[in-house]
Amino acid sequence: MIGEVIGMVSTSGISPLDEAREESLREASIEAEASGREKSQEESGPARSLLVFFLGAEGFAVDLAHARKVLRPSRIARVSGASPEVLGLMNCQGEVLCVLDLRRILSPGREMAPPAATEGKFIVVIQHGGKEAGFLVDAVRDVTELPASSVHPVLDSIDPSRARLFEGTVECGGQFVGLLSPSACLNP
Amino acid sequence: MTTGSVDLLVVDDGAVLRGYDCRDVVRVEEVAGEPGGYLVRLGRLGSPREVACREVLRSVALSPREIRPVPEVLRERITGEKPWAVGLTGREIYLLY
Repeated sequence: MIGEVIGMVSTSGISPLDEAREESLREASIEAEASGREKSQEESGPARSLLVFFLGAEGFAVDLAHARKVLRPSRIARVSGASPEVLGLMNCQGEVLCVLDLRRILSPGREMAPPAATEGKFIVVIQHGGKEAGFLVDAVRDVTELPASSVHPVLDSIDPSRARLFEGTVECGGQFVGLLSPSACLNP
Repeated sequence: MTTGSVDLLVVDDGAVLRGYDCRDVVRVEEVAGEPGGYLVRLGRLGSPREVACREVLRSVALSPREIRPVPEVLRERITGEKPWAVGLTGREIYLLY
């Protein structure tokens, strides 16, 4: 805004001396703005890009650095002898992808029927520490950029077996969502 | 069998398609009194073992590029016998035991 106003003044035909002074003022104001942004980023930490998705009405997020892709599910081949959270294997563009039921991972120990259909759902492929898996979710919203300082600790009231799956809680679009720990979700 | 390919006997265990190296198969028996039940006896290449399955489907030849490692995330979540690889063709996924 400051830059725009200064730009208007300098083109209105004032003396070269004034123009030079305006130019140095503009540079100073740009530097001040940049320094202000840097200061604010230092205070709030670097920005984090998060992929936000849903299981029913409950929102979750994962750091975009660990979200490799989002896919529509195709045929998932079940695997006998695998733990209940394993939905099976899917051919993901010529690669073998293990698909996990995030709902079941988030509710360890609770009896739960496997999802009846994958139609209309999404698979979020998460990668961390050399491991990769697809997580079945109901809906994917968008990518949100937030300062690192907006990640709040996991609430004490959450069951420890569930709490270990989260890095924290963030507010996205007026709703609190759980920021998932890729490492905890990928490791049994 | 084509050069470099692996011939597999494909069976349906009721949940997934399993593939066994054809050279390891000793015999396939129909289980009496259980329609659709089969017993595959293995052991030509190693120690004898048998596998019960619902159906014996076919044999397929997988090229080396159709044989992929088992994803680590799955390997860690399988109890009991673990597959040594995954067969991935354009149409099917097989677990190779």
